[in-house]
Amino acid sequence: METVPNIEEQAQNTGLPTPPVERLAYSVQEAADMLGVHYFSVYRLIQRGKLKTCHALRGKILVPRAELLKLLETDLR
Amino acid sequence: MNYYERPTPLQEQANLEAMQHFAEHLKQFKANCEDVHNLERNLAVTAKEAIQSPGRVIQTDNGVEWQHGVELMKGISLCHRCTASGSEFAVVECLPFKTGEMKDVLNRGYNAQEVLQMFARDQRQVLRLWKGDVTAQVSEHVSEKYPRQDMSVVVESFEIKLARAISQTYVHAQSQSQSRGVRI
Repeated sequence: METVPNIEEQAQNTGLPTPPVERLAYSVQEAADMLGVHYFSVYRLIQRGKLKTCHALRGKILVPRAELLKLLETDLR
Repeated sequence: MNYYERPTPLQEQANLEAMQHFAEHLKQFKANCEDVHNLERNLAVTAKEAIQSPGRVIQTDNGVEWQHGVELMKGISLCHRCTASGSEFAVVECLPFKTGEMKDVLNRGYNAQEVLQMFARDQRQVLRLWKGDVTAQVSEHVSEKYPRQDMSVVVESFEIKLARAISQTYVHAQSQSQSRGVRI
């Protein structure tokens, strides 16, 4: 039976750096650093619905790690 | 705090400190606003340039081949191709992800000016999204740095700065009545 790789294995497969402590979500700047693009491009991806986001208490945009992995997997296909 | 009260020295200090901390954000934000303004001002010229320019061939991720026309912003170009229904135009973004390049069509259509207008309108939405996020970051930053202090005046002055960069005419009147004494 095929096993589903855990999030760390997925991160290694897609080339994402593995943080010392696994985080569920990242700021736009952190997401941009992980993807290797400018943060304005990340806002564009969010506006187009390519990256789904959630918000911190004060309204700061957070990008779930799972969304970053999903985007990179889609792009790699 | 009274709405019309002058900011306290601590609020002035927090404002100055936040200005320094987010200086790069402000600079980048203003530069991107300027790019969108320029695009809106030169729609017809840019559309004409794109048609006349026989650039290199770009294949987008959906498998369609386009001829590069003119660069609109860094990594974003207006491209065109010949179809049975006439010339088709597309705004294409190339994103150099660490795992490989993504070439995505942002807007497309048979009228170059309309395609550019759609793109400019979308970029305004992106700027509003960015404005909201930076304002939230400023709020988070000052509340961590100055706990239990009312720093809403600092956050508001930042919000006004960003809003003014997006739309000069709309915010001018607001900034005079809502800056609450903090230099913006």
